[in-house]
Amino acid sequence: MIYLKALVLFLLTASVGMADELLDQIQARLTRSAITRGAFEQTKQLKVLRKPLVSNGTFIYDKSRGIAWKTLSPVPSLLLISDTRLWTAQGEQPVPAAFGKVFQAMLGADLAQLAAAFEITGAVRKTSWQVSLVPRDEMLKKVISRMQLSGDHELRLLEIFETNGNSSTLRFQNISHPDRLAVGEEADFAHLSP
Amino acid sequence: MKKPILRIYHPRVAAFAWLLGLLALGVAGSRVLTADWLETGFLALLPATEQQPEIARAVRQHNELINGKIICLTGADSAPQAVAHANQLKERFERSGLFKAVRLQVDQQAFAERYRQLFAYRYQLLDAQTRRILQDQPEALIGRNLEILYSPVGQLEAANLERDPLLLFSRYFNAQNPGRFTLVQGVAVVRDGERFWALLIADMADNRLPLDNLEVLRQLVNEAKDPIEAAGGELLSTGMPLFTAEGSHSAQREIAIVSIGSTLGILLLLLTFRGVRPLLLSCVGIAASTFAALVISILVFGKIHILTLVFGASLIGVGIDYALHYFCNSFSSADWTPAKGLNFILLGITLDLATSLISYASLGVPPFPLLREIAFFSVIGLIGAWATVVLLFPLLLTGFKPAHKPAMLRLTSYWQQHWPAWLLRNRAWLAPVAIVAIAGGLWQLTPRDDVRLLQSASAERLAADHKIRQLLPVRADSQFFLVAGTDPQDWHRNEQALLQRLEAQKQQRTLASFDGLSRYWPAPDTQFANYRLLKRTFHETGLLQRYMAELGFDRHAIAEEQQRFKIAENNSIGLAEWLDGADEARKMHWLGCDAGRCVSTVSLSGIKDLDALSQLDGLPGVRWVDQASQLSSLFERYRASASILLVAAYGIVLIGLGCKFGWRNALTIMAVPVLATAVSLAMLGWFDQLFSLFNLFALLLVLGIGVDYGIFFFLAGDKRSSTALAVTLSAITTLLSFGLLAVSSTAIVHAFGFTVAAGILTALLLAPLVGLKRTRQ
Repeated sequence: MIYLKALVLFLLTASVGMADELLDQIQARLTRSAITRGAFEQTKQLKVLRKPLVSNGTFIYDKSRGIAWKTLSPVPSLLLISDTRLWTAQGEQPVPAAFGKVFQAMLGADLAQLAAAFEITGAVRKTSWQVSLVPRDEMLKKVISRMQLSGDHELRLLEIFETNGNSSTLRFQNISHPDRLAVGEEADFAHLSP
Repeated sequence: MKKPILRIYHPRVAAFAWLLGLLALGVAGSRVLTADWLETGFLALLPATEQQPEIARAVRQHNELINGKIICLTGADSAPQAVAHANQLKERFERSGLFKAVRLQVDQQAFAERYRQLFAYRYQLLDAQTRRILQDQPEALIGRNLEILYSPVGQLEAANLERDPLLLFSRYFNAQNPGRFTLVQGVAVVRDGERFWALLIADMADNRLPLDNLEVLRQLVNEAKDPIEAAGGELLSTGMPLFTAEGSHSAQREIAIVSIGSTLGILLLLLTFRGVRPLLLSCVGIAASTFAALVISILVFGKIHILTLVFGASLIGVGIDYALHYFCNSFSSADWTPAKGLNFILLGITLDLATSLISYASLGVPPFPLLREIAFFSVIGLIGAWATVVLLFPLLLTGFKPAHKPAMLRLTSYWQQHWPAWLLRNRAWLAPVAIVAIAGGLWQLTPRDDVRLLQSASAERLAADHKIRQLLPVRADSQFFLVAGTDPQDWHRNEQALLQRLEAQKQQRTLASFDGLSRYWPAPDTQFANYRLLKRTFHETGLLQRYMAELGFDRHAIAEEQQRFKIAENNSIGLAEWLDGADEARKMHWLGCDAGRCVSTVSLSGIKDLDALSQLDGLPGVRWVDQASQLSSLFERYRASASILLVAAYGIVLIGLGCKFGWRNALTIMAVPVLATAVSLAMLGWFDQLFSLFNLFALLLVLGIGVDYGIFFFLAGDKRSSTALAVTLSAITTLLSFGLLAVSSTAIVHAFGFTVAAGILTALLLAPLVGLKRTRQ
């Protein structure tokens, strides 16, 4: 009996400790595609506010262009993120440390490049999986203490815990993988072309 | 024979005087040559009198700030790889010890401190966009805030929500750091297509750029390229020190070419005289005259420019003629003695010294520092060369007898007899052909005065510079605005007025970007206005309360914010305090306040329309500075005046010769340099060579040497064979040394060499025509 327990424990720690293997397993389940489209619901919990900031909208991820994040309510707005650029109607900003990459990796289900930026622990169950990411980058570490991802063959839930106590929860729904961008989406991404 | 000269001349006394003079120079030289005496920067060439002193001072300050800066971009296919290359480069730079600072990682700590320093003034420091929104439609600010707060990446902006619910400060702070940089491992990275570039900025420890450091720098950057390129990366670098380094490197190479040529000339001397004495004496003559010129010039000017050294040393080249003339005279008769020789040549070389001095000294008339230095340098050098020949040579040539008739003498003797005869026989067709050729060439001559021709940067360096300026808004080094005011408030008003006009030009795309301090630091009255604007739009209307309540702040938090706002009413941050924590790019714009005058620079990049910018000169407190165009137009004006001086020099020499030899003879002698100059200019035209101020130096040399040849032949009498040898040897050594400059990669040095070569060849071919009749008579 004690042996069995030890074996289970061993297997468990093995699957937890070996990030690469863990990611490989999750990766194997995820639907890989050049384009991912879906809806999101975001709940931001800011410490100083009594109620959470809830917003929803749609997103589209294109491997070669980046992410278009379209908030529909309560304030319609568009945010575009690529490897190196972050565009909003208010102007262009430098991408906050490693953020563009992380976002892309998560939405594009390219988990391999996460391993470089985060310490990864987690577990894979029969139909679902869950990982926890702790930033390695000193700058990111100052802002974000931990991120939690979970899903099945798609990413379903993303939680971001900030060091100052704020947190955000992002739920993804209606995920699909179209072959090409719609005309309107093409036009949105045009803001990113120099 | 002119016995009086000989009677008062004692070779020993003369040589002793010469030695004393040299000793004095040696003592002075040991003092000045150990100090930093060589100037290499091109901006040092600008005449001080061209500008008002306070502007000159501001420009000098600006130049000092940018002089020691090097900008490098390391490129790779991925951002981490680019950063790895940059780290490697940083290490290499730091090891070299050439730099006082090598900046790669953005200083996070300084960044955070800056944030803390300015946060207290958030109600006073509004960025232009926020101010506009508040003025036009305050409610729009709320919409924008919500957009940021709801954004999935708005963590940083929202971090201080509690103490800055309107997100005023994050707006101001973000607007302070424009540009499209991404930070990768703390390093600024810019992307261009598939390439990522990491930015590294280095400051030279000694931004007076001493020559040794420049050479080390040039090699350092070249060596750094190899490992990066071997790893599939790229290295781009630019900056004033690199350009100066390349310039002085090629100048040094050219000096080397001249010395190889001179060595060949010296070998020729050796072959001709088959003796060591003339050779050694020639070397002593050249060395002593150059040393005298160098030491006395540094004593007078403090520091001399590297171009003075190149051109000055060239002009002194005439001096070797005196020595050659003396030696060659020894072939003229069997019972030759140094005293007889000196007696014979003294008139010729003294006349020649006088004419050369007149022509060289005329260079110093315009108030152009470089011209003055060169004029002074060459005048001293020539006097030194003459004094060496006259004072030292007679003693040291005692007992000198050429043991043989050199083959060279037979050759030149034959040549000086038959060549003029052939010319005269064929003058019927030669003269018209020559006239047409000269006229045609002169007609095609077009002056070019672009100062950039001074810089001999390689195509590779220029391409790298261009590429960097495409990727980054690197400020133009030599074009900017100076903005002045009686106090910071007045200065601020003037600069804002200028920035508005520049914004209009940016909209028209004649300018890529511009930057000035007043963009970031609002003047005290603007700070108060900003506060009042917030008070009017958000506090007095209750808009703040509504916004905060709707967002979810509790009553307590709202009251606190109102209290904080109230307390901050009389806050304001002065320029000095603001600058104190500012990054270097900002500090560089401020030149300081002094005696009721505050001055800043407004930098520009991607300039497409210089005229439009220069028209802004004359706005209140605004001066347009364009050092490149200024220098170019200066070169143009001085080319014009130096041309007149050259003509005047010809006139003066002609008058001098006329008084001595009579007008007809003077005209005959002068025909040699005049025709040589005409042919030289015509060749420049035919071959589409550069024609600028610097060709005039070459023409002065042609005048000096041409007159020489003319006088020597005129006075030759029955010694035409030895004179022909002296003239031929002189021409060959001149061609070997200065003519060789024609292979130079620096446009102006090349033009100098070409002009000298064409002129001296012509003078050599024409000189034997002088004095023919005298001999026949």
